[in-house]
Amino acid sequence: MPQSYHQNHPKQTAFSFVLKAGEDQITVTWRFNQTYSAGTDSDYKTVKVKLCYAPISQKDRSWRKTEDRLKKDKTCPHKIVARPYTTSNNSFTWTVEKDIPSGVYFVRAYALNAQDEEVAYGQNTDVHKVNNLFKIQAITGRHVSLDVASVCFSAFSIVSLAGFFYMEKRK
Amino acid sequence: MEISQNSDTNYRKFVLPVDSEHKATEFRLFSIATPHMRAFHLSWISFFSCFVSTFAAPPLLPIIRDNLDLTATDIGNAGIAAVSGAVFARVAMGTACDLFGPRLASSSLILLTAPAVYLSAIANSPSAFLMVRFFTGFSLATFVSTQFWMSSMFSPNVVGTANGLSGGWGNLGGGATQLIMPLVYSLIHDNIGSTKFTAWRIAFFIPAFFQTLSAYAIFFLGQDMPDGNYVRLEKSGEKHKDSFSQVFYHAITNYRGWILALTYGYCFGVELTIDNIIAQYFYDRFNVNLHTAGIIAASFGLANLFSRPGGGILSDLVAKRFGMRGRLWTLWVVQMIGGLLCLLLGKIGSLSGSVAVMLVFSVFVQAACGLTFGVVPFVSRRSLGVISGMTGGGGNVGAVLTQVIFFRGSRYSTEEGISLMGVMIMCCTLVILFIYFPQWGGLFCGPKKGVTEEDYYLAEWTAAEKEQGFHKMSIKFSENSRRERGKKGASVPVLSDKDTPPTIV
Repeated sequence: MPQSYHQNHPKQTAFSFVLKAGEDQITVTWRFNQTYSAGTDSDYKTVKVKLCYAPISQKDRSWRKTEDRLKKDKTCPHKIVARPYTTSNNSFTWTVEKDIPSGVYFVRAYALNAQDEEVAYGQNTDVHKVNNLFKIQAITGRHVSLDVASVCFSAFSIVSLAGFFYMEKRK
Repeated sequence: MEISQNSDTNYRKFVLPVDSEHKATEFRLFSIATPHMRAFHLSWISFFSCFVSTFAAPPLLPIIRDNLDLTATDIGNAGIAAVSGAVFARVAMGTACDLFGPRLASSSLILLTAPAVYLSAIANSPSAFLMVRFFTGFSLATFVSTQFWMSSMFSPNVVGTANGLSGGWGNLGGGATQLIMPLVYSLIHDNIGSTKFTAWRIAFFIPAFFQTLSAYAIFFLGQDMPDGNYVRLEKSGEKHKDSFSQVFYHAITNYRGWILALTYGYCFGVELTIDNIIAQYFYDRFNVNLHTAGIIAASFGLANLFSRPGGGILSDLVAKRFGMRGRLWTLWVVQMIGGLLCLLLGKIGSLSGSVAVMLVFSVFVQAACGLTFGVVPFVSRRSLGVISGMTGGGGNVGAVLTQVIFFRGSRYSTEEGISLMGVMIMCCTLVILFIYFPQWGGLFCGPKKGVTEEDYYLAEWTAAEKEQGFHKMSIKFSENSRRERGKKGASVPVLSDKDTPPTIV
């Protein structure tokens, strides 16, 4: 891989922690992989860093399927950051957004040329997407006010029904 | 304004012209006159709201599936659950209508299922999602009360039209919801600023409120029969309170009810299945985006605006000339063509071709639904509700069967499933050949000589019951259904009493 980067986490053991959407943060750093000859990166103009689903989170979910044709690929739908390309000293701290679903993830960075086409990439896991994965826990989207409204209106419906029967019996 | 008087001592004025049962003999769409047209508008609007609630989740699935971490299997199971609850609920509703009247029966069911819609807003797991879709789906039993109510309010010559319009405009909810829910969601997410996972939850309150409101409207503004509500009519003795076991017995022993239950599974059941799978089909096979796929899915359901009512109107039209035999033939032909088009749909490889075939297919399959309920009101008078419920329930069984056989797992590709479903439609529709009314005939056989409508409908009552006069409404219905003989039957002798010589009418 022309490029590589690594992540900083509080701990490195898989799944001993869970990142909470809307609260926890990921710090991504990336640089050009010096083992490649100089000039390989001559057409890299921008870097797009994305949050991607690990295979376990793609299972039985065809809307997250990996396709070789990037246009149809749905592995990495969540954008973390886009930056102009530089060879080193790239870092970004991202708060996991509130609309990220629960799942197992990794991070991938694409290098794009001037025509906005992907020409290279790097990721924090291996080619089989087994190591260094991490878990994110989504927000529930629920609020106490919603819970209360939901239960109250439900009760209101049942009470109304009882009222209807009572009124009907009285006729 | 036309006034109609009956020959009894009670004097009632109706806006529409009525028959001897005070059922309207005309259908005026833009009127809200009590009791007939008001009942029509109350029933289609409330049924529409139930359809909106039952299919509120599919258009928002891209967000719900992320929030609740659903797999494709979870989604498929919830879709099946949504239509399976109504299988038994529809039969129960039919019974409730026969015993308590459509006004109480439908408003009760709508209020009982509204909590499932409210509680959808707090679902937190795949199993919770399945449960709320399952219980919300019970509300589709209001179809039965709709058809029962129309059959109670409208005379045989317009009953197909009334049933077709109320059923069709209710089914419209399944298409409208694909447009309404995303709109409500965007309003909440973009304008009020709620997060995605909160916005869809709040959105569900809209169909829930609508449903609750319609139950109130039915209870306070509706009435069961042209002459009043069951409770009042039973207290005054005008209506006899029937026995559940008798009503149920006469329904399940009538083979025509079972045949129509089967065939309805292959027009309405197929319609429900398509509602659940068509957006995904276009999205996956033709690579349209989700938004476009949703619009295509909506247009299938929205065809109900005219296609199901068209079926009902067609049924009444052919009955004028050819009577019940005309109704049966038209149903058979239209549903067969529907099956053929379904077979074709799976074979077409182009997007525009598929959309075109789908639209024509939607017209035929929905018209077949309307045509079915042009026949149902005549199968039984005493057990109209249970027969309607059995047929309606059979529709949902068809939806469960077709989804389980053809659209689950990876046994068949979606296009293979669609074509095979078309073949199954055609095979199952053949049983209409076996429907025979002794007083009117069937597809290939004419009526039995000397058999009258009274023979058929009064057979549902025992001699003891007849002695007590419980069967009066069946007598009136028999007279009013004479027109199902068609133009040819006008000169057939009508026997009012088997012992007296026949009188030529």
